[in-house]
Amino acid sequence: MNAPDRYERFVVPEGTKKVSFERDTKIMDAASFTIEREEHTIGNIIRMQLHRDPNVLFAGYKLPHPLQYKIIIRIHTNSRSDPMGAYNQAINDLDKELDHLKNAFEAEMVKFSRDY
Amino acid sequence: MEPQSYARMPRVKIRELRDDYARFELRDTDASIANALRRVMIAEVPTIAIDLVEIEVNSSVLNDEFIAHRLGLIPLTSDRAMSMRFSRDCDACDGDGQCEFCSVEFHLMAVCRNDETQDVTSSDLISSDHTVVPVDFSDATIDASSDGISGNKKGGITIVKLRKGQEVKLRAIARKGIGKDHAKWSPAATVTFMYEPEIHINEDLMESLTLEEKKEWVESSPTPVFDIDPVTQQVMVVDAEAYTYDDEVIKKAEAMGKPGLVEINAKQDSFIFTVETTGAIKASQLLLNAIEILKQKLDAVRTSLDTVEADDQFGELGAHMRGG
Repeated sequence: MNAPDRYERFVVPEGTKKVSFERDTKIMDAASFTIEREEHTIGNIIRMQLHRDPNVLFAGYKLPHPLQYKIIIRIHTNSRSDPMGAYNQAINDLDKELDHLKNAFEAEMVKFSRDY
Repeated sequence: MEPQSYARMPRVKIRELRDDYARFELRDTDASIANALRRVMIAEVPTIAIDLVEIEVNSSVLNDEFIAHRLGLIPLTSDRAMSMRFSRDCDACDGDGQCEFCSVEFHLMAVCRNDETQDVTSSDLISSDHTVVPVDFSDATIDASSDGISGNKKGGITIVKLRKGQEVKLRAIARKGIGKDHAKWSPAATVTFMYEPEIHINEDLMESLTLEEKKEWVESSPTPVFDIDPVTQQVMVVDAEAYTYDDEVIKKAEAMGKPGLVEINAKQDSFIFTVETTGAIKASQLLLNAIEILKQKLDAVRTSLDTVEADDQFGELGAHMRGG
């Protein structure tokens, strides 16, 4: 009856930014990124990719509430990097990995259809 | 930005590939990527499914809603889905189903005039677009129905059964959607992955067992992972992947007073995927589409120059404090 529309889970409402960030007021090089209408799929891959960056001291994500369709990614880096840079690099690296995976799978498909 | 890249270069090896089934190994990546792919394949790769039904005549035993629901669950060939528009994003139409960019129209007309019960199936649906039609399982059903179990001669998915004089006439509009919205749009029947197990048998300890004990230990595994070589009487791993991480053989070894008889580890960077689709798209295409969707999602969460700072804690003052 008063259930929210199903599309609310993945359609960013008009006038809302997909990504916003908030610097930590007390700690240097720490910030939280709020990503609207995303969940564990994106949150976990970005977090794990950030863990591969030695300049990142802390990276974590949370889904604050199942009915709040957003995730919060918190990043703390050392002085050689900054949260925004680390965040963007993590995304670029993931993008590269997926490109590679796509090519690897396509090559394997050609090989598979030839060999069997 | 930093010139260094921390990207991984995953490897893939296909073991089995059919139209609606794929089994492959994914290596040199971590569980987050494997799980993201699984989640996207299930819930975010788009397909086309019937979403709106206008019923003109329905004198069948099933009520209108029931039939509309059943129509929605019929898988439709969705190779076009990736390039189609979502009807909510489509500005070229008013959502009446006549739009080539976002919808496909179907008609269904069936009347039973015989004394026999008539099956109305997905193959009775008439599509306005020859690329979007109900998935045809007829090749599979010929084999299955030859034994006489299935009384459905013409194939297709049964929507409703009619008796003499009953009629169904309707118009349906199929739209692009994703599994997150409604499971009818999910292209995946099952998508699973498991960690590749690494099994080491402590040969010295194993040789301290009698043949009877070895047999007893091999039998303790609920799945056929180990066997005894009939010639050498040595215990060997016949199918490591049959191991379900149930720990039964480890418990058994302990109960027999031989802890450490076998060591089983899950390789953290090696996954075995099983992908089965509804037939809406090919299994191989499902993975490729999932990668593409994941890339699009990542692109959407990139920060741009106009990414707003949600720090309104101090308002203008906050900006001055940061030297802005």
